[in-house]
Amino acid sequence: MLEVTNLHARLNDGREILRGIDLSVKAGEVHAIMGPNGSGKSTLAAVLAGREGYEVSEGSVSYLGRDLLVMPADERAREGLFLAFQYPIEIPGVNNMYFLRTALNAQRRHRGEPELDAGQFLRIVRARLKLLDIGEDLLQRAVNVGFSGGEKKRNEILQMAMLEPRLAILDETDSGLDIDALKLVARGVNEQRSPERAIVVITHYQRLLDYVEPDRVHVLQRGRIIQSGDKALAVELERRGYGAAEEAA
Amino acid sequence: MNAVVDFPVRPEARPYLEAFGRDSLARAGREPDWLTGYRKGSLARFAEFGFPSRRSEAWRYLDLRALEQRPMLPAGAQRGGISAQIRAQLAEMALGRPAYRLVLVDGRLAPALSALEGLPPGVWLGSMAAAITERPELVRAGFEALSLDAARPFAALNTAFFADGFVLDIEPGVVVERPVEIIHLSSGAAQGGSLHTRGLIAAGERARASVIESFAGAGHYWRNDVIELNLAAGAELTRVALIEEAAEAWHFGEMLATLGAGASLSSFVMLLAGRTVRHETTVRSEGEASRCELNGAFLLSGRQEANILTTVEHAAAGGETREVFKGVATGRAHGAFQGRITVRPGAQRVDAHQLSRNLVLGPHASIDTKPELEICADDVKCSHGAAVGDLDEAALFYLRARGIPDEQARRMLIEAFVREAVELVGTPLMREHLLQRISRRLASSEE
Amino acid sequence: MSASSETLQTLRSLARESYKYGFITEIDAEAAPPGLTEDTVRFISAKKEEPAWLLEWRLAAFRAWCGMAQPDWAKLQLTPIDYQAATYYSAPRQSAGPKSIDEVDPELLRTYEKLGIPLREREILAGVAVDAVFDSISVATTFKEQLGELGIIFCSMGEAVREHPELVRKYLGTVVPQNDNFFAALNSAVFSDGSFAYVPPGVRCPMELSTYFRINAAKTGQFERTLLIADAGAYVSYLEGCTAPQRDENQLHAAVVELIAHEDAQVKYSTVQNWYPGDAEGRGGIYNFVTKRGACRGARSKISWTQVETGSAITWKYPSCVLEGDHSVGEFYSVAITNNRQQADTGTKMIHIGSDTRSTIVSKGISAGRGQNTYRGLVRVQPRARGARNHTQCDSLLIGERCGAHTVPYIEVRNPSARVEHEATASRISEEQLFYCRQRGLTTEDAISLIVNGFCREVLKELPMEFAVEAQKLLAVSLEGSVG
Repeated sequence: MLEVTNLHARLNDGREILRGIDLSVKAGEVHAIMGPNGSGKSTLAAVLAGREGYEVSEGSVSYLGRDLLVMPADERAREGLFLAFQYPIEIPGVNNMYFLRTALNAQRRHRGEPELDAGQFLRIVRARLKLLDIGEDLLQRAVNVGFSGGEKKRNEILQMAMLEPRLAILDETDSGLDIDALKLVARGVNEQRSPERAIVVITHYQRLLDYVEPDRVHVLQRGRIIQSGDKALAVELERRGYGAAEEAA
Repeated sequence: MNAVVDFPVRPEARPYLEAFGRDSLARAGREPDWLTGYRKGSLARFAEFGFPSRRSEAWRYLDLRALEQRPMLPAGAQRGGISAQIRAQLAEMALGRPAYRLVLVDGRLAPALSALEGLPPGVWLGSMAAAITERPELVRAGFEALSLDAARPFAALNTAFFADGFVLDIEPGVVVERPVEIIHLSSGAAQGGSLHTRGLIAAGERARASVIESFAGAGHYWRNDVIELNLAAGAELTRVALIEEAAEAWHFGEMLATLGAGASLSSFVMLLAGRTVRHETTVRSEGEASRCELNGAFLLSGRQEANILTTVEHAAAGGETREVFKGVATGRAHGAFQGRITVRPGAQRVDAHQLSRNLVLGPHASIDTKPELEICADDVKCSHGAAVGDLDEAALFYLRARGIPDEQARRMLIEAFVREAVELVGTPLMREHLLQRISRRLASSEE
Repeated sequence: MSASSETLQTLRSLARESYKYGFITEIDAEAAPPGLTEDTVRFISAKKEEPAWLLEWRLAAFRAWCGMAQPDWAKLQLTPIDYQAATYYSAPRQSAGPKSIDEVDPELLRTYEKLGIPLREREILAGVAVDAVFDSISVATTFKEQLGELGIIFCSMGEAVREHPELVRKYLGTVVPQNDNFFAALNSAVFSDGSFAYVPPGVRCPMELSTYFRINAAKTGQFERTLLIADAGAYVSYLEGCTAPQRDENQLHAAVVELIAHEDAQVKYSTVQNWYPGDAEGRGGIYNFVTKRGACRGARSKISWTQVETGSAITWKYPSCVLEGDHSVGEFYSVAITNNRQQADTGTKMIHIGSDTRSTIVSKGISAGRGQNTYRGLVRVQPRARGARNHTQCDSLLIGERCGAHTVPYIEVRNPSARVEHEATASRISEEQLFYCRQRGLTTEDAISLIVNGFCREVLKELPMEFAVEAQKLLAVSLEGSVG
């Protein structure tokens, strides 16, 4: 589904952040990308989602057999690539439910499916809310405005559940969460697991992986994946730290 | 009159033109020709502008009729020693601890009261009169840079008539650790006349200094002060103005600053006493990533009238402006704040915030405030806030419930309100001095 | 769901359209000769068969105007207006005063249909009574009988002068005097028609009253005059819409609106202003110089202005409230968009005279292209206005690096118990917000539309439902071409 080959990317100021990433994610898999602060985790997510401000200097990314890097950010989203933001953005005055419906209908339109009217949408969103144990009041507020850290993350998970992406990238969705919120995020991710869908979980800690079992674990260090393995690698990292991983590599 | 008058003259300017003609003999031979040229040119501009009308935005909140109807002509040089009254004024206004001190009495240097010893190498501090001889290029550059327009007629008048003032010239990289103190006093000899003083501070690249200017006096006079600040790249300057003029005095202060790349200006203006006081600050941020902090307060009672004006023009990218102004008017006093922040096209990433908070505390007191943004670039973060109101009733009640008499409780709250702005003064010695002056002022206005 | 839930799909299709009201109606019109003299004023007054007092009133205004200069304090750049080249009266030629809608020229009815304002009885908008003003005169007013049963008078100004002269004479010019300002004086001299409404004591007007203004004729100014009176305890909500054909020269619109609210009365006045804005290079477009003012005469009265200003090459207007009655309330909610070369200098004045008066100002300015947008406002608390309160929120959004946003508030407080607060911000749509929306699949254009609508939400929610949807579409259309 996703083939990242020798990906190099730098910031507009010339600093190279990604220095040759290779990553292959197949449908049905859950990958965890771990690494210390500043290793390039969030940059990788941003480059995959098409955020401006980065220059890909080398390498390629293929998504569903297409060149991902030539697609504008909104097209990537409509093609089923979802990014759960580490710091979700506030949009004052825009009703959260309206935002969600607009996004969903933009994607449905793209896929040639009929758009949902307010009633149809409400039925679906209520079902999801129940499943994820999220209060309905979240929908009536402006997008992320005045949300607590936990509410923002829940909102990201709700969006993911509604948009049903083919590839979901979760950028440190677990950071700053208490154990209940963490379990909720994990539930959201596990609920999304399916043979047609791939999930990439970017995280600093092994904590989330207690609840979301990854098929593959990668260690990102200084813009490169220095080690890959199964879930045992995460446990080892937690015990021995990233320094040891670097030495091992 | 001579060659000066071959242009239309506004009637209210005529007495000043005549005074200039009378003085020209006395000046002849004492001043370089280039200076006389600037004086004549500026006088011509003043004659053309005349007094600003209230339709002029920068003067809409000030009543100039008394000054317009009864000219206050430039006072001549006074002879004689330093009076006890002047010494008393100095004792009041001077900073408690040692500083480089330059004292001007009736608009002219008083060497006996000044203390300029021990200036670090690379620092020149002296009277404007001396600088004209010793640092002519620097002084000329200052006149050259000052643009005269109809909204600044009194800056033109100042150029025509200033008798003295001061110059502080700091070479690149030099740090002046001790505060520099400029004290303007008035003996009352200039009764009914005007005092025109001119200041200039040039801070070279990465130079650093703190300057406090205090204004006090006796009698009925009009002080018209102009100061230019020129901050080269990376220079850091603090300038505090403490205005405590005589109860019947007029005071117009005009400060014009230019900021180079990465330069940082921190200004504080405290208007405490004087019949009619106006202070205008104009900052032009010409270099990228400059920082400008303009704060101040006025504390008015009786029939006082005071205006604080600020204009910050961001002509370069990445600049930052922070403004906090507090105003208090009691009795029949009238205070006004007018602040404008302009972002020129292309000056991206400017971050500017301005706050004007005011208390109207007398049944006949009034406050006007006009915070203004003028933005011609899109990648900016600009905001302003303004509030006018009364003392917080809940806080007042709380203090009274603890047994503090009403009057004292009010004074405490007013002091706290003004203090919030004063706390922003970075130099502890100056901050303490200001707070002390404010306390005294509040205590005396209670009688 | 709220009115703001209009689907983005509609917005998008609209955003691709240009000014769709730019057509010209071919209609036989009767006009005054160009130029402005006392004779022009007499001509207009005679055409309208006015009583002598009104002619005198107009002439006094004309004489005042002759001694005035066009104001230059606003932040506007405009080509000088040749007041002697304009035509001050143009009326579609039709049988004098159509008795029923069937007598109205079918071409006119078609024009209003195209504008989405059907005037024929069977098609009229439910719940909205419309007075349609075409160039200088009112062509039709709907729902008159139903309103009449409640004692509500709703008719053209011309008809009011004929049928209710005592009311017109009592109130005309009492809020905006003839010599108030240059444009108000001009309007007072040459106003041709407009709407008049009177709601008697205790009556709550059951439907929205609405005037639809249309400038059609070339080189013609439109000078309508609107007078609304809500008597003690009455309530009325009024809507105003405007369009004009696409023409290369600038056309002048100088209207005056006077509102009067007596004790416990409420007037809500909503405008969606969509005059032709000129083309992308700034050719043509309406010069919109409007004086709107309401007087809260009685205790506990309330006047609320809501405006969505998307059109016109130049907008100069400051809908104001004079809060005379104790405990009276003034409100001003505004969205102003300037794109391409449009310029808007708009805001409000809240004059607190009575005690415990309150006012609220919410202004949202959006600048795009080379548009220049100025908020200019005055909050004045007079010495007698004990306990006066004002809160002002004034936000600017900048889209593109060649536009401008300016905020010029004047706050003048003469009473120690007043509390006045003003906040203003200026920023652009953040890259983060745009990326977030795009990551959820919205195109850049849709994302901007969504964010702008959110930005304006506080104002849009004040509009009556029928107008809110229209206003949202307009926001999208007005920003067309503002990005990349």
